[in-house]
Amino acid sequence: MVKIIVVTSGKGGVGKTTTSASFAVGLASRGYKTAVIDFDIGLRNLDLIMGCERRVVYDFVNVIRGEATLNQALIRDKHTKELFILPASQTRDKDALTLEGVGTVLDEMSKTFDYIVCDSPAGIERGAQLAMYFADSAIVVTNPEVSSVRDSDRMLGLLSSKTKRAEEGRGHITEHLLLTRYSPKRVANGDMLSLSDVNEILAIPLLGVIPESQAVLRASNSGVPVIVDTESDAGQAYMDAVARFLGEDVPFRFLHEKPNWLKRLFSFKEKEAI
Amino acid sequence: MSDSNLVMDRRSCFRFKTSFSPCTILQLARYDLEELSKQVSTAVNRAPNFFIGSPVILDLEEVRTLGVLDFNRIKQILIANNLVPVGVRGGDVEQHAAAVDAGFPVVTIGKAKQSDEPIKKSVQVSQTKLVTTPIRSGMQVYAKDADLIVIAPVSPGAELLADGNIHVYGPLRGRALAGVQGNTQARIFCRTLEAELVAIAGYYLVKEDMQNLPSHDSMVQVYLENEQVRIAAM
Repeated sequence: MVKIIVVTSGKGGVGKTTTSASFAVGLASRGYKTAVIDFDIGLRNLDLIMGCERRVVYDFVNVIRGEATLNQALIRDKHTKELFILPASQTRDKDALTLEGVGTVLDEMSKTFDYIVCDSPAGIERGAQLAMYFADSAIVVTNPEVSSVRDSDRMLGLLSSKTKRAEEGRGHITEHLLLTRYSPKRVANGDMLSLSDVNEILAIPLLGVIPESQAVLRASNSGVPVIVDTESDAGQAYMDAVARFLGEDVPFRFLHEKPNWLKRLFSFKEKEAI
Repeated sequence: MSDSNLVMDRRSCFRFKTSFSPCTILQLARYDLEELSKQVSTAVNRAPNFFIGSPVILDLEEVRTLGVLDFNRIKQILIANNLVPVGVRGGDVEQHAAAVDAGFPVVTIGKAKQSDEPIKKSVQVSQTKLVTTPIRSGMQVYAKDADLIVIAPVSPGAELLADGNIHVYGPLRGRALAGVQGNTQARIFCRTLEAELVAIAGYYLVKEDMQNLPSHDSMVQVYLENEQVRIAAM
């Protein structure tokens, strides 16, 4: 039974595409046949993050319009078996997507794939609504800052009313919170909302916390999803999140600042003094 | 068959139409013609636009034990006040006969009570709208002609509206507007007031004006007093 996952946030630049790419790689590397679809028509980015931009011939809109078959448009990932990318069109806009068209493509993909990851565009317009409409579960990507939290809250409202599941009364889609660009140091300084601040407003199960990391930018620019970089904290955090998504019980990491040895020494001294 | 029906239809010189024009029911509570004349006149004068020319059905349900009434006189009273008597309902057989004599047909418009049935007391249950799922930013919930009860968080940017009272048992962080149709008696009750705005019957307070709030552990109510929105612990 296929599972359609939408990665959404409302706000732009919080890490939807990074998350979609890493999640798709994570699921595929565990042996699930996975596709990741770029719904950001006109501003396609997923192909860059996945490092397949030079192999794009046909795109999602071509398939919807019947100008290409699904198999012609799907790009097989070079590094991970069982992973396919359906890129967005760069030359059109989001109005090129239709509800019936998206439904037909997803139906066809449902026959062969285990997971379909839909990378939603920012905003709450057509593209974002179509990306979430057919979803079974949602990953809401949020940065620990107030505007991102409010936008995510808005998306959760739409997820509970503007999806096929909600309209057909088949129950809610499962919602997961993924907190990205988390910096324990700045939280400690009071510059950033803490995990509990965010949780208090959004109040949905936490899937993972991805620390602010140099590795993410490096990965984006080199076209290799950050989850592949198993040495990096962000990559490990994404692996944990994928494991939790699949129902495994994994403790949370990277929530607290790493105490450096100098500080530890001083705190020891302070204790001595008392 | 159908052909002949069609022909009949074309030839027919009328058709029945159902309409739901308002029709006033005048329910006699006691039988005192002098007093009736005075009170009807007062009532009509109070809202002449509403009453003048309005069809009136006389309801006899509460005076059915009093026997035959002077329907001619009642008819005169109604006509004198520019009302149009169209019939009677309720009452017993003798009353019906007397009414027909006076030119009141017996009608069964509305729910004429079956005389043998015990009169059911109508239980007035006020309408309430219950919301059990979180109300997120950008969502709007309106309880029309009703109270609103929310047992989940209300996020910043969400909006609660009710013609009656609003009760919130999760944190209230959005906007809450009670008595939006102008009910100044409406109140807002909540456990933690972190609202962006509260309003009763159009009078409002924004978050900046909500100083000196009661401590977090107590229930809070918001009500209107001398056109001022008040917040108090309970």
